[in-house]
Amino acid sequence: MFRQLLRTATPLAHRQAAIATKRTSIVPQSLMRYYSASGLTKDDVTTRIVDVIKAYDKSLAAKPISLESTYNKDLGLDSLDTVELIVAIEEEFEIEIPDKVADELKNVGETVDYIVSNPDAN
Amino acid sequence: MVRKLSGLQREVVHLYRSCIRMAHTKPIENRPHFIKYIHSEFGKYKDIPRKDFTTIEHLLRIGSKKLQEFSKNEVKDIR
Repeated sequence: MFRQLLRTATPLAHRQAAIATKRTSIVPQSLMRYYSASGLTKDDVTTRIVDVIKAYDKSLAAKPISLESTYNKDLGLDSLDTVELIVAIEEEFEIEIPDKVADELKNVGETVDYIVSNPDAN
Repeated sequence: MVRKLSGLQREVVHLYRSCIRMAHTKPIENRPHFIKYIHSEFGKYKDIPRKDFTTIEHLLRIGSKKLQEFSKNEVKDIR
């Protein structure tokens, strides 16, 4: 029984070490390139946000989504849909966007910029 | 250009955001029930004229009371 535990434990430790080294190698690079405090790259954030948008509404999956896409006009969301989408994005990055900021997020690019500049996002 | 929201509209949006956040604190299998309920509650009044301030303010008060009620930890599901 213990042997089995050990067997599962070693790869886990291994994996964690791998993750740790990966993190440290990512952070300085992104700091240099994007001045991001969170260690997330802009491309990374963009793809994850686009995925959240596509998961949020199936009818949006076929639409082209760019940084300039506005929630209201291009994606056809009303103000309440946008709120829901932003909350979904908050969940994805494990942050809470204050009301004041969230009210001003009108397109994908602004949202990406905010997430990249937020040190708590991950 | 996107029209700026009025102060009252902003309040509605904020209430809606708090409601959705509340739904996300509930057990994952019941979240769709909460979201559906929130949609139906807000949907009921979506045709109220923008200038009908007293009604909207009244509904905002009722809404935040209900939100408080449903935010309680004992509330796990909704139908």
